Amino acid sequence: MNEPCSLDFVRETMKDFGTADQAGRGRFRIDTTPEKIRNAVNACRERLHCNRFIAISSADTPPVLELIYHFTGPHRAVISLAIGVPREAPVTPTLSDILPPAGILERQIHDLFGIEFTGHPGLKKIILNEDWPEGEFPLRKDWKPGPDTFYGGFREG
Amino acid sequence: MPEVVIPIGPQHPALKEPVNFRVIADGEKIVRLDLDLSYNHRGIEKAAEQRNFIRVLPLLERVCGICSHSHATAFAKGIEELMGLRIPPRAQYIRTIIAELERMHSHLLWLGVAAHEIGFNTLFMWTWRDREEVQDTLEEMSGNRVHYGMNEVGGVRRDLSASQVKAALGRLPSLQERIGKYVDMVNNQRTMLVRFRGIGTLSKEEALEFGTVGPTARASGVDYDTRRDDPYLVYDEVPWDVVTASDGDVFGRTEVRIGEIAESIRIVRHCLENLPEGPIRVNAPKTAPKGEVLSRYEAPRGELVHFIRTNGTDRVERVDIRTPTLANWTSVAHELVGQNLADIPVIVAAIDPCLSCTSRLTVINSRDKKECQVSFEELRRKKKTTWAGGGPA
Repeated sequence: MNEPCSLDFVRETMKDFGTADQAGRGRFRIDTTPEKIRNAVNACRERLHCNRFIAISSADTPPVLELIYHFTGPHRAVISLAIGVPREAPVTPTLSDILPPAGILERQIHDLFGIEFTGHPGLKKIILNEDWPEGEFPLRKDWKPGPDTFYGGFREG
Repeated sequence: MPEVVIPIGPQHPALKEPVNFRVIADGEKIVRLDLDLSYNHRGIEKAAEQRNFIRVLPLLERVCGICSHSHATAFAKGIEELMGLRIPPRAQYIRTIIAELERMHSHLLWLGVAAHEIGFNTLFMWTWRDREEVQDTLEEMSGNRVHYGMNEVGGVRRDLSASQVKAALGRLPSLQERIGKYVDMVNNQRTMLVRFRGIGTLSKEEALEFGTVGPTARASGVDYDTRRDDPYLVYDEVPWDVVTASDGDVFGRTEVRIGEIAESIRIVRHCLENLPEGPIRVNAPKTAPKGEVLSRYEAPRGELVHFIRTNGTDRVERVDIRTPTLANWTSVAHELVGQNLADIPVIVAAIDPCLSCTSRLTVINSRDKKECQVSFEELRRKKKTTWAGGGPA
């Protein structure tokens, strides 16, 4: 399976999960939903031969928090599966059981955006300091540091 | 024996940068590892959203002191793709030269650190002396040893003069000769063979499953290299080969890195000898149209990914950086299980962790189990006693 991926092939294989679009040379993007993401990832790995997981990219685009899972394989194309998690109830299933490297990235996204990954075995703080206040998610667009909030580290004065 | 929790870091003599992990050990054998990356977190991704493209490049270059050029290039090429700019070939060649010099100095630095971790300080001194040759070249070209400041959106900021090219070419033969010596040493030197072979082994399937990148993955026979798979700069015009090994242990990672230094010398020589004439930059617009791009770059430690989203202004809507070390931690946690405590420094060092990039590790409590703390001195002593007998029992 070393021949390059074609848009038609990606469209046909992933049609249950959303419409595939070409987003640049060797880049395919499929918009899907949090309910379908686990099956979509499995399909991507089995039927599109994506044996390598690259990253989860995250962005705050109100009214959703967007997560984009990037994969590649021997065909060298990048397949991106995008989901939108509602900002009001940011919950999506974890992928850490089927994709071990996702575990560490999900912990990071949990810290910075406050998305709950259901089924994650240890959604503890990883990137923010342990005395960082609960409920403050710095990479959300509407986040502003509170004037009287203590964000950890040393207290001045 | 009860399980013992050994906290290592964030400040730790065996680690070259601050990272914090908790090793759960049963006697000498490691049972589990937990990470905490918060010590170095600086909020660069948030800060990048507040600056325009001109001011954000120096900031991103400071994500890391070793792969500074990688971050700046990954971002610049992403933004240029969004703007639809065609970068002059001379600029692309200069970027490639700096990128490969950076890879050489990074791998030489790693080789020294790995040698130091196994107590082979002669090799450490030698490789760091050779690294100075590369650093001198970088300093001549850019004026800087760490943050080269060569990139801007639209090209590079400094041109190479004929005398700089000549001086750089003049340094390559002696470096090449030294690399030949290191290949010899790695294959024959007893200290290195004993301490590197069979340590921290990762099969090809595991390397793929755990999402490893860069030399760590290629040492396990995973044939992925962004420079070939998703060509950028001038890697599709220059003759070079992807280096892989099949051992999957620390020895394999050493082999791959030394092989990559040799390939980098080849690329740098080709680029210097065939440097095209012409301008070194184009005028870039101040704003980028709305769009998003996944910019992939093969940094010395592995694939670096910048996910950039723009919104039609002169700032990014979001820049999401996935660094190679972050991708490699999952495999380290796996590799360490069942290994000797004395091998922690060398296994951790084998992925060439770059923590100011990753800057996000945490230590975890083993809750109700009995805990006791082991100082680094004690760990050092254990290392000495374990290896005094010629190897683990």
